[in-house]
Amino acid sequence: MMGLGKNFFPMARGEKVVLAVLILFAAASFLPLTRSVEVAGMALFGWLMAALMVLSPILTLWVFRRGRPRT
Amino acid sequence: MFVERILVLFYLAVCVGIGAYASRKVLTSRDEYWVAGRRIGTSVNTMAIMASLASGGSIIGVMGLAYSKGIPTTLALFAGAVIGFPFASILVARQLRNFGRYTITDFLTFRFPSPVVRVLVPILIVVAFTAYIVAQLKAAGLTANALLGIPYDTALVISTLVFVSYVSIGGMIAITWTDVVQGVLMLIVVIGTAIAVIWRAGSPFELMRQATEVAPELGRLASEDIGSSVGFFIIWATAIPVIPHIVMRVYTAKDGRSAQLSLNLAMVAYSVMILAAVLAIVPVGKLAFPDLADADLVFLRVIESEFPAVIRGVVVAAVLAAVMSTTDALLLACSSAIAHDLLGGILRRNASEKTLAVVRVATAWVVGILALYWALSPPELLSRFYTAGIGLLSAGLFVPTIAGLWWKRANRAGGVASLVVGAGSYALALTGILDVGLPPIVVSLSASALAMAAGGLFGAAETREMCEEIAALHVAEPSGED
Repeated sequence: MMGLGKNFFPMARGEKVVLAVLILFAAASFLPLTRSVEVAGMALFGWLMAALMVLSPILTLWVFRRGRPRT
Repeated sequence: MFVERILVLFYLAVCVGIGAYASRKVLTSRDEYWVAGRRIGTSVNTMAIMASLASGGSIIGVMGLAYSKGIPTTLALFAGAVIGFPFASILVARQLRNFGRYTITDFLTFRFPSPVVRVLVPILIVVAFTAYIVAQLKAAGLTANALLGIPYDTALVISTLVFVSYVSIGGMIAITWTDVVQGVLMLIVVIGTAIAVIWRAGSPFELMRQATEVAPELGRLASEDIGSSVGFFIIWATAIPVIPHIVMRVYTAKDGRSAQLSLNLAMVAYSVMILAAVLAIVPVGKLAFPDLADADLVFLRVIESEFPAVIRGVVVAAVLAAVMSTTDALLLACSSAIAHDLLGGILRRNASEKTLAVVRVATAWVVGILALYWALSPPELLSRFYTAGIGLLSAGLFVPTIAGLWWKRANRAGGVASLVVGAGSYALALTGILDVGLPPIVVSLSASALAMAAGGLFGAAETREMCEEIAALHVAEPSGED
């Protein structure tokens, strides 16, 4: 049984990293710079959103497959 | 339109047939009816989750929005929903599957035992989802009217009768099987169309280059759209982990790991479909039909110009499938909020399993008929509220659910306060009574988190037994699947 002393129930390190990466990626995508730069006719913001859509579930799946279930 | 109508009739008959077949298994068992016996495998659940999220808006609406508002704005809206699934798979999937009940209300009532939670959560679900169902029904009626030439009212009645039939008698098993059929149909139609138009153009980048040369606004994000894009992104990212029809899918999974995998695999399929629609079909539509008065017609115009009648019939079936695969899941979640969450406690003490089965079926019909009544002449308030319904659920349920699962100091006072403050402040911010210059969802989630923190820090500490029960939900069960 995991310890109950801390304020939060423990989360696997890989899962913490995924959450942090996704939140930072999303926040960075909304910075003003991404709206002014264009790539292949579309604002960089659009490409970043497209990348987020594809990469976020793939990254999470990769972390799940690497991690072993905690028993 | 004869070929199209025959194909659509065949598709509707298949849906009802699946419901009738499933009814032999589910009518006398709560587990079978609400959560398909908790034995849905990863691949089937993947397709069912994808189809549940992909509403009429994911085919017709996404392309209309990209055509009129530009591709970056559109992707911001849909990326919020997609990123919500990795969040859900990490924050709630394994824990709620281990909890092993039927609804999100079951968890919140267990974690924060209070009459306020027991009554307010299902009421929020019913209010938000009824509006959502009405909007989906309107989409079905408009689509059938535009593509099959059937009067709006007739199309509405037929499509409602079909999906209420198979949901009411077939429960979650019928929804799962029909969603798999509907999901496959959607993927084939959208991705197949995208491949065909890219094949003719040479490459997607060439398509995009040509389209943005003719219409530069297609690739730009209008500055006035930033605030709403941020708000919508946050609403969906935080709603997905707690939205009832997705949470019920978690309960149907055979184990926690399968639930986690299927949530993410579903989003890979969903993202590919949305990107195919927005990055390939919309540029073709913009080049071929640059001045459409109704942007939502862009996909249908491309299909009409590129493909023969048989393909058009399949496309109509796919659009109806998109509408129905979401509406059926919403209807079951709405029914469960009434028949299981609100009435269940009273009925289970006094009624036989057969009576409970009758109540489940009757509830689905009552909700379906009410939604049909409103869809035939939609009240103005209901139509406007639909866009905010998901936000209301997110504002009320996100903080109590996540804190209830992860914060050891979360207690009953904090849970009740964060639910009431979150939903209440969202309603006030949405109506303009509470205006601090931020999107309503940002205001309400912050207020909800503060209420939870205040309750946890100043209220009575949670019992050790509760902490141990929540800790047990975080432990992964052995799984044969990887």
